[in-house]
Amino acid sequence: MTAVDTGLAAEYAAIFAFSAATVHLDGDARDRAEALESEHRTRRDRLLDHYSAAGAEAPAPAAGYDVGVIADAAAAQELLTAVELDVTATWRAGVASSDPEERRLCLDMYAASAVSLAQWRLAIGQAVADPWPGRAE
Amino acid sequence: MFTTRRGLLIGAAAFAAAGCTEQAQITTSDADLTAALRTARALAQGADALGYGEIAEDHRTHAATLERLLRPNTIAEEEAAAPADADALAAAETAGSAEAAESSMTTQSDYAVLFGEIAASRAAHAAVIA
Repeated sequence: MTAVDTGLAAEYAAIFAFSAATVHLDGDARDRAEALESEHRTRRDRLLDHYSAAGAEAPAPAAGYDVGVIADAAAAQELLTAVELDVTATWRAGVASSDPEERRLCLDMYAASAVSLAQWRLAIGQAVADPWPGRAE
Repeated sequence: MFTTRRGLLIGAAAFAAAGCTEQAQITTSDADLTAALRTARALAQGADALGYGEIAEDHRTHAATLERLLRPNTIAEEEAAAPADADALAAAETAGSAEAAESSMTTQSDYAVLFGEIAASRAAHAAVIA
């Protein structure tokens, strides 16, 4: 499994999670969640184009993902924060790739996911500063 | 070469007599690390000047790590011109992100992920400042 395969899997899971959780939100959090779901779909499409251009078959999404019980807005926020952290950590790991093309793609996706993470934290009133986005604490 | 303790001592004395007692010091000066450090310091000053204290702290964290990696070399502090407003700071963050991303792609060292982290952090700053 390549770094891009792993990143694409994280984007599929994020789209699923946003689809399930956004309905529980309102206000700024709802608006940002809708924008971020669209962002994840855009990234997925770019990745699919990458596979297509390389003449390779892209991994398919899973039929479903375990997102737990989303009982209320707080649970939805917690889930989506975890999702954004996971996507950012996944793309960060891909930057270590020794393949220049793969590293470039992972680097672009990593920066985009760090932006998404910061925008999401801002929307739900959390501190946005983070010197090492996606690094395990 | 010196297979006995006595031989080793004689050898050491010979080296000393030849003026070879000074230990070799390996110094590395990574241009990418130096550039990233200068930018981190400038961005920290700019963020502080406009009241973005938490973002300035991120840059100081980057600077501290880069200083540690550059040791024993040291890079002198420089006074940077403060950005005119938030838009100018966001533009500087974006430029700094691009610089670090390029270093991540081209670095000769093992710091591709470090530069990537710095690029991602700066990109996030630019997005929330804008």
